[in-house]
Amino acid sequence: MGLAVKIIDLWKSFGYFDALKGVNFEIEENEIFGLIGPNGAGKTTTLRILGTLISPSSGQVEVFGHDVVKDAGVVREILSYLPEDAGAYQYLSGEEYLMFMAGFYARDKTALEEMVQAGREISGLGDRLKDRVNDYSRGMKRRLLIARALMIKPKLTILDEPTSGLDVIQAYHVRGMIKDYAKRMGVTILVSSHNMLEVEYLCDRVALINEGVIIAEGTPTELKTRYNAVNLEQAFMEATHLG
Amino acid sequence: MGSFMSIVYKEIKELVRDPKILFGVVLLPLILYPLMGQGIQISQQALETSIKGAKFSIYSDDAGMIANVLMQYIKTNNTVTTIEASGLQDALVKYKDSDSVALVYIPNGYSQNITEGLKGNVKIYGNLKNLNMAEASSTEVAGSLVKVYNYYYSLSLIKNLLTDAEQKGSPVAIHDPIRLSFASIIKGNVIEVSPSQIASLIVSQSIMLPIMVMMMIIFAIQMAATSIALEKEQKTLETLMTLPVGRLTILAGKLTGSVVIAIAGSISYMIGFSYYTSSAFSFAPQVTSVDMSGVGIGIQPMGYVLLGLVMFVTLVSALALAISLAVFTDSVRSAQSLTGVLIVPLIIPAIILMFSDIEMLPQTIQWVLLVIPYTHTMLATKAAFLGNYWIIVRSIGYISVFTVAVLWAAAKIFSTERIITSRFTKLSFGKRKKPSI
Repeated sequence: MGLAVKIIDLWKSFGYFDALKGVNFEIEENEIFGLIGPNGAGKTTTLRILGTLISPSSGQVEVFGHDVVKDAGVVREILSYLPEDAGAYQYLSGEEYLMFMAGFYARDKTALEEMVQAGREISGLGDRLKDRVNDYSRGMKRRLLIARALMIKPKLTILDEPTSGLDVIQAYHVRGMIKDYAKRMGVTILVSSHNMLEVEYLCDRVALINEGVIIAEGTPTELKTRYNAVNLEQAFMEATHLG
Repeated sequence: MGSFMSIVYKEIKELVRDPKILFGVVLLPLILYPLMGQGIQISQQALETSIKGAKFSIYSDDAGMIANVLMQYIKTNNTVTTIEASGLQDALVKYKDSDSVALVYIPNGYSQNITEGLKGNVKIYGNLKNLNMAEASSTEVAGSLVKVYNYYYSLSLIKNLLTDAEQKGSPVAIHDPIRLSFASIIKGNVIEVSPSQIASLIVSQSIMLPIMVMMMIIFAIQMAATSIALEKEQKTLETLMTLPVGRLTILAGKLTGSVVIAIAGSISYMIGFSYYTSSAFSFAPQVTSVDMSGVGIGIQPMGYVLLGLVMFVTLVSALALAISLAVFTDSVRSAQSLTGVLIVPLIIPAIILMFSDIEMLPQTIQWVLLVIPYTHTMLATKAAFLGNYWIIVRSIGYISVFTVAVLWAAAKIFSTERIITSRFTKLSFGKRKKPSI
C-alpha cells in the first residue's frame, strides 16, 4: 500500500490571516481518513488545496505522488471533490446531472454509461433520477452529489462535511452509502466533519485540527485511549485543553 | 461530446429551462411589444373615433347674411347644436353644461367687417372637462373647419374682385403666389423628399435602435451574472473547477451558452419590436410611407454584416464583464445589484444619443461617452443606416479591444484562486470577507 496523500508543513494565508500553520499528515491508500475540528479550524482550506482549488502559501502537498500545484491537471483526473453544502444544477434531471459530470472523465460511450449506471446504483434514487434536481429534498440532493463523486471510481474522494444540514435519517443514509462504497470498492476517502461521532463511525484514522494546526492523529481507539476519553468529542476537548 | 460542448449544452439547457429566463428573455418581448403596439393602436383609434363623432356648438351674435353662410357651412360638416342665448355669457353657461367639445362663436360685426373688406372675427371655445387629448384635438378640428371655410371664402372674394376689375388670373395663385417644395441631397443624390420627413425617420430610428441595443445588453448582463452567481451560491462552480477540464474551457463554455441565449433573446426582441412599430404607428401612415432604402438611408447587406459583428463583440464584452464581476459575489441577489451598477454606463449613452448626435455635444462629454464601449455600439447602429461603414469598423475595433481586455481579466480571475476566495456583498465593497476555512 502506498501513500494517497502526503502533506508536509502546509501553510496558507489570506492576507494577514494564517488559516493553516504548518499542517502535516498522511493518508494511506484505501483508507477512510477523517479531518475533524470545529468551524474555522482549517478543514475546508486543507481540502480545497488538495482539490487544486487554491494554492498553498508554502509546504508540500501530494496526491498519489503528484504535486497539487505543478501537476494539478493529473490530480484532477484522479480525485473527486464534494464541497460543503454543494448543490447540483437545478434545471437538470438527476440523470442528466450524472451524465454531464461523467462526461468529463469517460473516454468513450461505454465508459460513460458504466459511470452513470454506477451513479444510479450508489444514489439509490431509482426513478426519481428522471426528475429535475429542484424537486429533490436536501437529502436526495446530497445522495445524488455523493453518487456523482463516487461513480467515477476516483483514487481519492474528498467529502467536505458530507452530512451537513441533513436530518438524522438522511445523515444515516448518507453515512451508510459512503461506508458501503468504501467497503465494496476499497477506495481512499478523506472526510471532513465537525461531527466527531460521525467520523468515529466512518473513519479508519483521524486527525484533529484546531486553529490551523493538527493537534493529534491516530485511529479513533488510539485517540480515545490517549486522552482517556469515551468518544472523539471528549478526546478533542482534552487535546485542545478545553475540557 | 468534448468538455467545451458539454458545458455549452448544459448552460443552454439550464438557461432555457429557467422559467425566469425563458419568459423574461425569450417570450416576454414576443408578447409584450405586440401588446403595447395594440394598446397604442386601440387608444389612437379611440381618439380618432372620438374626434370624428365630436359634437360642436355654434352661437352667433351676428344676424347678418355672411355670418349665416358660415353657420350653414359648419352645420353641414358635423353634429352641430345651435345655442339660443341672450348673450355670450349665457351661451357659455349653456355650452359648458352641454356635451359639445367646442363652441364656435361669431361676434356681432362679423358680416359688417367682411362686407367692408376687413377681417371678420371668429372665436372657438374648447370645453376641457376631462383634460384629455380627444377634447383638445376636437377643438383643433373645429378650428380647421373654419380655416377651410376661410380659404374657399377668400378664393371666392378674389374671384369676385378679379371679375369686377376685369382682370385675368387664378384666385388660387393670387392667394398663394409662391409654390414651395423641398428636396434633400443624401450622399450626393437628390431625393424628392423633404429634409424634415427624413429627419423624422432618422429620429424614429435613433430612438428605437439605442433602446433595442440597451435592452439586449441588459438581458445578457443579467443572465450571465445570475448564471455565474447561481453556480457560486450552489457551489457547482467549485465542483466544476476540480474536474479535469481547463478553467478557460469553463469560462468559454459559460460565455458561449449565454451568447446563444442572448442572441435568441435579441431575435425575439426584434420580432416583438417590429410588431410594435408596425401596429403602433399604423394610424400614422406618413411615418412608414417613406421607404428608408428608397431614400438611401436603409441598411444594405454589408451594413447588416457589420452590424451583426458589432452586436456580437458587444454581447461578448458585456457577458465577459458580467461574468468577471459576478464571480466576486456570493449570491444571486448581490450579483443582480452589482449588474445594476454595470447598467448605468449603458443607459447614459443610450439616453443621450436618443436625443442628440455625438457631434452636437461639448468636447469633454464626447470624450467621456467615447470611452464607454457601448456608446460605439449605438453609434454603429446609427451609422449602419447612413452607410458610414468606417464608423462601424472603428466601433468594432474599439469594442473588440475592450472585449479582449475584459476576456483577459476574466481568464485571469478564472485561473487564480480568487474565483473561490474573493467576494463582496452589497454593503461591503472593497472589504475582503474572510473565506471559509
